[in-house]
Amino acid sequence: MGDTRGGCCPSMDLFRSEPMQLVQLIIPIESAHRTISYLGDLGLLQFKDLNADKSPFQRTYAAQIKRCGEMARKLNFFKEQILRAGLSSKSSVSQVDINIDDLEVKLGELEAELVEINANSEKLQRSYNELLEYKLVLQKAGEFFIAAQSSAVEQQREFESRQTGGDSIEVPLLLEQESLVDQSKPVNLGFLSGLVPREKSMAFERILFRATRGNVFLKQTAVEDPVADPISGEKVEKNVFIVFYSGERAKNKILKICEAFGANRYPFTEDVGKQAQMIAEVSGKLSELKTTIDIGLLHRGNLLQTIGEHFENWNLLARKEKSIYHILNMLSLDVTKKCLVAEGWGPVFATKQIQDALQRAASDSNSQVGPIFQVLLTTEAPPTYFRTNKFSSAFQEIVDAYGVARYQEANPGVYTIVTFPFLFAVMFGDWGHGICLLLATLYFILREKKLSSQKLGDITEMAFGGRYVILMMSLFSIYTGLIYNEFFSVPFGLFGRSAYACRSPDCSDSTTVGLLKVGSTYPFGLDPVWHGTRSELPFLNSLKMKMSILLGVAQMNLGIIISYFNATFFRNSINIWFQFLPQMIFLNSLFGYLSLLIIIKWCTGSNADLYHVMIYMFLGPTEDLAENQLFPGQKNVQIVLLLLALVAVPWMLLPKPFLLKRQHEQRFQGQSYAPLPSGDDSLELDSHHDSHGHEEFEFSEIFVHQLIHTIEFVLGAVSNTASYLRLWALSLAHSELSSVFYDKVLVLSAGFNNIIILIVGIIVFIFATVGVLLLMETLSAFLHALRLHWVEFQNKFYEGDGYKFHPFSFALLDEDDD
Amino acid sequence: MGFLVTSLIFAVIGVITCFCTLICCNRGASTNLFHLTLIITATICCWMMWAIVYLAQMKPLIVPILNDSE
Repeated sequence: MGDTRGGCCPSMDLFRSEPMQLVQLIIPIESAHRTISYLGDLGLLQFKDLNADKSPFQRTYAAQIKRCGEMARKLNFFKEQILRAGLSSKSSVSQVDINIDDLEVKLGELEAELVEINANSEKLQRSYNELLEYKLVLQKAGEFFIAAQSSAVEQQREFESRQTGGDSIEVPLLLEQESLVDQSKPVNLGFLSGLVPREKSMAFERILFRATRGNVFLKQTAVEDPVADPISGEKVEKNVFIVFYSGERAKNKILKICEAFGANRYPFTEDVGKQAQMIAEVSGKLSELKTTIDIGLLHRGNLLQTIGEHFENWNLLARKEKSIYHILNMLSLDVTKKCLVAEGWGPVFATKQIQDALQRAASDSNSQVGPIFQVLLTTEAPPTYFRTNKFSSAFQEIVDAYGVARYQEANPGVYTIVTFPFLFAVMFGDWGHGICLLLATLYFILREKKLSSQKLGDITEMAFGGRYVILMMSLFSIYTGLIYNEFFSVPFGLFGRSAYACRSPDCSDSTTVGLLKVGSTYPFGLDPVWHGTRSELPFLNSLKMKMSILLGVAQMNLGIIISYFNATFFRNSINIWFQFLPQMIFLNSLFGYLSLLIIIKWCTGSNADLYHVMIYMFLGPTEDLAENQLFPGQKNVQIVLLLLALVAVPWMLLPKPFLLKRQHEQRFQGQSYAPLPSGDDSLELDSHHDSHGHEEFEFSEIFVHQLIHTIEFVLGAVSNTASYLRLWALSLAHSELSSVFYDKVLVLSAGFNNIIILIVGIIVFIFATVGVLLLMETLSAFLHALRLHWVEFQNKFYEGDGYKFHPFSFALLDEDDD
Repeated sequence: MGFLVTSLIFAVIGVITCFCTLICCNRGASTNLFHLTLIITATICCWMMWAIVYLAQMKPLIVPILNDSE
């Protein structure tokens, strides 16, 4: 299809998508991997999946893909470990070439080492934590015992003193016995000590009490600092407890409860001397463990550091490898099992590059047979590929967001680069705000290199991606701001003196009748005198409304003209004569005429009512225009235009379906009398397939389609023109909002003659300007400009039913995976 | 300055810009055509905007009426 170019001029960049061709590559199996790798470096071929019916496991290179997946898993594990260790995986400068097989072995070794180190350090950490808890128990419980002992000794002494002092008859005889029994009791008491999480300690105590029916004595002390739990490794607030019980059954119960509450028990002795000894022992062990753990951590850190240095390289290599095998899986194996057959779309201009890559791969891998490159003929629609640069890509994104262009269809992106920011600026006309936008986007553009490698937030990312769109928008809004003569809503007389002056020397009637135009028209933009006058709004409304219609009619005409370029390009004369021409006539005989009337009215200063003229052009075309006449012979012109518009409707509707039908019949007839195909089976199959495609001509369907299209256009001409009035509404809203912020905040606060109020006023003004005007208004004007392009402009010519070219390229790997 | 003179200035600026891009960044016929299309579209847009505002003020039907406070 690439050679069916119409027109005389050289083709324009970006106007048509690149001519594509379906190519077939036959690659010897020994050089396949290298070939695909080189093609991936080139990144200009989109492979077709020739094994679409096979599941991923049935494919040739399933095992290799699995290996790559395993490597990716290991790399992910490393990444996680590196992140957890708080190291950054910066890519090393030295690009060491490493084989994928070596890499696999190396990754395996490293993983095993790391896992072992992790297991060891975990074990060590656990025993360290246990010892730490044990030490705590020893200390706290020891304190408790010492305190208890001292009080017990005191009691004993008291008891003894009482016994010795009161050796009288009053002393009950039983007491001695009781005390004897009392003294014998502690011998049977057992006790357990340990740590329980503080939040569970209340419940723990209660359950213990209930389970043993109160036959326990529990003593708890809070540990001040959170303790690392040996099992989970997390820091938990804990209490040291010690439980006294009597009897084996109670002990078993308590043990079970301890287990259920996650309370760690530690052995403890009553003997104070032994306690001290144990504390010393535990402390010694602790410091020993500490050094061991530190050495382990250092070793692990070093290991991770070295991994981190190579990580980016390895990761890239692994992902490249995986993508190569993924592509290899899409190729079909030749019958002889010695060759792989690849099919894919590539741009015509890249033919040479692709062939070069194939040759290089063949020679580099010492293959005896070179790969075969051939172009296939197909009826399938090729993918759409625009070669954009960093400037035009954002605009192309705007168009693609609506729909990817049909193959080689005229691309509205070319005009969007200018008209989109222009229509935005019509709604955002203020050169103060334009400069603010410009500064913001210049920041992005100047720091482009730095920012593009960073991860940005969602909104910043969006603004950064559209930085060139915003640049154009800001430049145009500075221009339209100068036209509207608004700098934060303040007018400046930059281009000469105002054309208006008072009628009389004392200016008495300037507030009633108004000023008089004395000089020549203000040369560039809006006369500054209008600002703040009582008639500003009526004047601006009339101006901006008419401007919207003029701009809209111009842009819609551009859209229809592009449909003409499309028709000539695809050699479709039916579309020229029965679509482009009547559409042009219809639109211009109604709205083109309206635009003309607007201009005539401005030039002549006539008082004619254009609404009246347009309405009565339909209601009573033969009636006399009277004072609404703008030029001689207007009535006849209007009748002719009305008739033309009326004729254009059936012109659009009827002939095209009939002509298409005839065209189809001719082609079909020609085919039925064609010479019988030769014996070649595939050819016959092909032609059969072809004719099958044409047999599905249904006249009613085509006619209904044409009917819908016609109705859409006729109604659309009215509604789309009306839709352009949003330019008026939004630009009015913008200027009114900014003048409100200026008058009611800045000027008002300056009127108080108070520095604090002024500062507050300035702050409020800045925030309102940035928040409402620069952010929200930008967004809304952007969206409305987007709609005007997507709907009002593109529906005149744009099909947008193509699909995008997705070449296999290593450069695009990052975007795919994240 | 009349309507025609300023329109001419717009046209001249457009033509000069076209020549500048042709001389400064000459990157083959198709890219040049692309650049020229952009410049011409931009020039037409800017000119239209100016022309509309200029024409609307040529023979004013509404005149500025100052506010009482001023």
